[in-house]
Amino acid sequence: MTKDLFSDKRFQQRWTVKRTLGIGLAVVLLAGVVIAIVLGQGGDEPAGLRTVRGVIGSEKLAFFADQRVKDVFAKHGLKVEVDPAGSRQIATATDLNSYDFAFPSSAPAAEKIQRDRKAARTYAPFSSPMVVATFDPIVDLLTKAGVVRSGPGYQTFDVQAYLDLAAKGTRWDQLPGNTAYPARKNLLVTTTDPRDSNSAAMYLAITSFVANGGVVSSQEAEAKVLPGVSKLFLDQGYTQSSSEGPFEDYLSAGMGKTPLVLAYEAQFVDRVVRGDSTIRPDMKLLYPAPTVLSKHTLVPLREAGDRVGQLLSGDAELGRLAATFGFRTADPRHFNDVVKEKNLTVPQTIVDVVEPPAHETLERMLEAIAKQY
Amino acid sequence: MNRRLVPAVAVLALLTGCSDEADPSRPVGDPSPGVLRVLAGSELADLQPVLDEAAKATGVTVKFSYSGTIEGAEKVANGTADQGFDAVWFSSNRYLELVPDAQKRLGTPAKVMSSPVVLGLPAAKVRELGWEGRRVGWAEIAQAAGERKFTYGMTDPSASNSGFSALVGVAAALSGSGSALDAARISAVAPQLKQFFSAQTLSAGSSGWLSEAYARRATEPGAKVDGLINYESVLLSLNATLPEPLTLIYPNDGVVTADYPLTLLTSASSEAREAHRKLSEHLRGADVQRRIMDSTHRRPAVPQVQPDAKFAVKDLVELPFPGSQSAVDGLITTYFDQLRRPSRTLYVLDTSGSMQGDRIDGLRQALAGLTGADSSLAGKFNRFHGREQVTLLPFNSTARPPVKYEVPADDPRPVLDQIRGTATSLDAAGGTAIYSSLRDGYDVLREQINADPDRFTSIVLMTDGENTGNENIDDFERFHSGLPQTLKGIPIFPVLFGESATAEMERVAKISGGKVFDARSRSLSAAFKEIRGYQ
Repeated sequence: MTKDLFSDKRFQQRWTVKRTLGIGLAVVLLAGVVIAIVLGQGGDEPAGLRTVRGVIGSEKLAFFADQRVKDVFAKHGLKVEVDPAGSRQIATATDLNSYDFAFPSSAPAAEKIQRDRKAARTYAPFSSPMVVATFDPIVDLLTKAGVVRSGPGYQTFDVQAYLDLAAKGTRWDQLPGNTAYPARKNLLVTTTDPRDSNSAAMYLAITSFVANGGVVSSQEAEAKVLPGVSKLFLDQGYTQSSSEGPFEDYLSAGMGKTPLVLAYEAQFVDRVVRGDSTIRPDMKLLYPAPTVLSKHTLVPLREAGDRVGQLLSGDAELGRLAATFGFRTADPRHFNDVVKEKNLTVPQTIVDVVEPPAHETLERMLEAIAKQY
Repeated sequence: MNRRLVPAVAVLALLTGCSDEADPSRPVGDPSPGVLRVLAGSELADLQPVLDEAAKATGVTVKFSYSGTIEGAEKVANGTADQGFDAVWFSSNRYLELVPDAQKRLGTPAKVMSSPVVLGLPAAKVRELGWEGRRVGWAEIAQAAGERKFTYGMTDPSASNSGFSALVGVAAALSGSGSALDAARISAVAPQLKQFFSAQTLSAGSSGWLSEAYARRATEPGAKVDGLINYESVLLSLNATLPEPLTLIYPNDGVVTADYPLTLLTSASSEAREAHRKLSEHLRGADVQRRIMDSTHRRPAVPQVQPDAKFAVKDLVELPFPGSQSAVDGLITTYFDQLRRPSRTLYVLDTSGSMQGDRIDGLRQALAGLTGADSSLAGKFNRFHGREQVTLLPFNSTARPPVKYEVPADDPRPVLDQIRGTATSLDAAGGTAIYSSLRDGYDVLREQINADPDRFTSIVLMTDGENTGNENIDDFERFHSGLPQTLKGIPIFPVLFGESATAEMERVAKISGGKVFDARSRSLSAAFKEIRGYQ
């Protein structure tokens, strides 16, 4: 354990900086020694808190940064420090040695980490369905084009109809009677980069399911769906690497830049709950039919990380807080309370949900797409 | 100059250099608490007042070191940025994210503001073109440009992001396919792109200088340029100073927008992470966003702040950006070798006795670097381009015979090798007749311009000391003022080196509409590379 810690670059750097600082102060004045020791021990944090470090999917950053969340952890003697990273990056590229837990945003990524690190168990304290966020004029256009339909109490985004349009390379300005958004660019949902982001992998899970007529589970099926689904990414050109990027563009740059954006439902709900007027009345949520759930799954890497997993799953206060960030909680009460309290127009249950492919299958398809860039 | 003086001067320079010259890998110093060391695009300099206020409010001071986007991407990719910086801040992360080794070193981004790249033309011109009161697309703009109904200035796409965005935007829009560019789509629209770029009569390595040059040409008699392609923010700022303000043309088929993400490097210490978090939060606060919008004319990055009425078109279609580095690099290379108006470049080079030793060696290397010997990312685009006319005019007590080359578009290698051969055999001896040699240079250019007028023509003047010839700067100024317009408008880019007469070189730059480049505190290669953006 100690060896692991010392081989970690970040730890060494921090250690060196503090040590240098300590020596510098000691040379200048005697009292400095005391300060250096205090600094070296972690400064102004309340005494007695145990620091737990995690690497998390970036969508959960705001949750962990929230003071109320910090307070709950502090009550249990923990100070949780997190680094955001792409969920696939966490599963494949990140050096996990310096972390007590990994908290990617999907079950397949967590599966892989659990297997690699031989973790005894995992926690799935919250989840969020993948959605398509858009604007009223686009909803009208796509309703006429047969892509948007009214579902059981909510509007759905018909993935098959969308794939048909995308296969033809349809541009917005080619939609009949389109005066609302006659942009000379392809009708495509804006996603993140399939090379490093979880939400793009979830999008691939959805589109490959529809293209294949079921979960892709064989090499033949992979080969069959790849040309069509690759185009959905490649034709977008440059894509951002984290799901915050395109969703922020949706909010601030608007319809011109991102008429359709793939997002986690939680990103949208979080903004509504905040009530910071970033969600305007013309912004609408569509639920892809079918969709997948992004299951935020915590993999404990050390005992301290396990404690975080237990608290997130069991502590009612943390559950309530997670729901205010838009996550659907393992105990549905928390999320439903928020829906009621904030009068949100999101469905309690989503009918058409499918499972993502196994980690290996998903990875192989993502790699095959990456190679075509 | 007297050669014997040199060692003493050099030693002195070395001594003084020791005390205040920064470590080149850490130009903004070692990490220290409360300081965020940022490798940034030079256009962020206008944010300094906002950052000064941020320092008071958050205790986080930003220290900038400026670099071009492509050069910056290279520093991030090869890990040198990790050594001396905590974060990067360019107009966009798009190019960086396309370079795999750079992408993996980028941490949390915080978008701070945005500005689209658009075309600015005087209102009279817009009326003349029939574009008043209606939106036009890139195809119509390209057609009018091809018919030379207007001319414009734009920055070098390999050195500056506004030119780069314009190149990507116009190529994406003209390709008409609506999806991202690849090599096949680029070559399919090459003829239209060539039309569009035929109206580009001014180039620059930075957005700032481009605006200055434009403003100067608007007020002084000379080769006038009608419009500018630049950031909306730059054009709005410029309008405050122009006698005839520019009308901003927002092409209705889309633009490419800079979004200024202040991006942590993954190597940053936890202190730096905290500093980045605090600063990002502050800069994205509603009041600061409004302050940025008012003072820099950039659009807010957060949805809570409504964009000002000065942004004439709010909901802009964003054009797709290429998804791979090879597509982008291919587009830039095609721009230089095939699309833009070809360059004509005259190098007037001091090979006097004082250049002996390291200096002549540095000169040989600097020229060789431009023939493809420089394998860096930026170096790849800085080489002499296909169709370019390159003339080397070495001088000492008099001008030596000019050596002329024209680089073929298809197979440039043999000619580039010849240029390298000539460069590496330059020798140093004799006096320094700067102005009579420079005058001789105009004879070369006059002949070339008569034969082929439609080129970007410029002069690089490299000398390491005082003039020892019979003609002085006053003689040259008289000669210059008597030149016909086609020759008078040629910018001269003097390079300060060794014991250059700074004031005289500034004067040469000023009378010709050029710019001085300093190679005293860096290599001649670095200066020669930077000048490429202006040629």
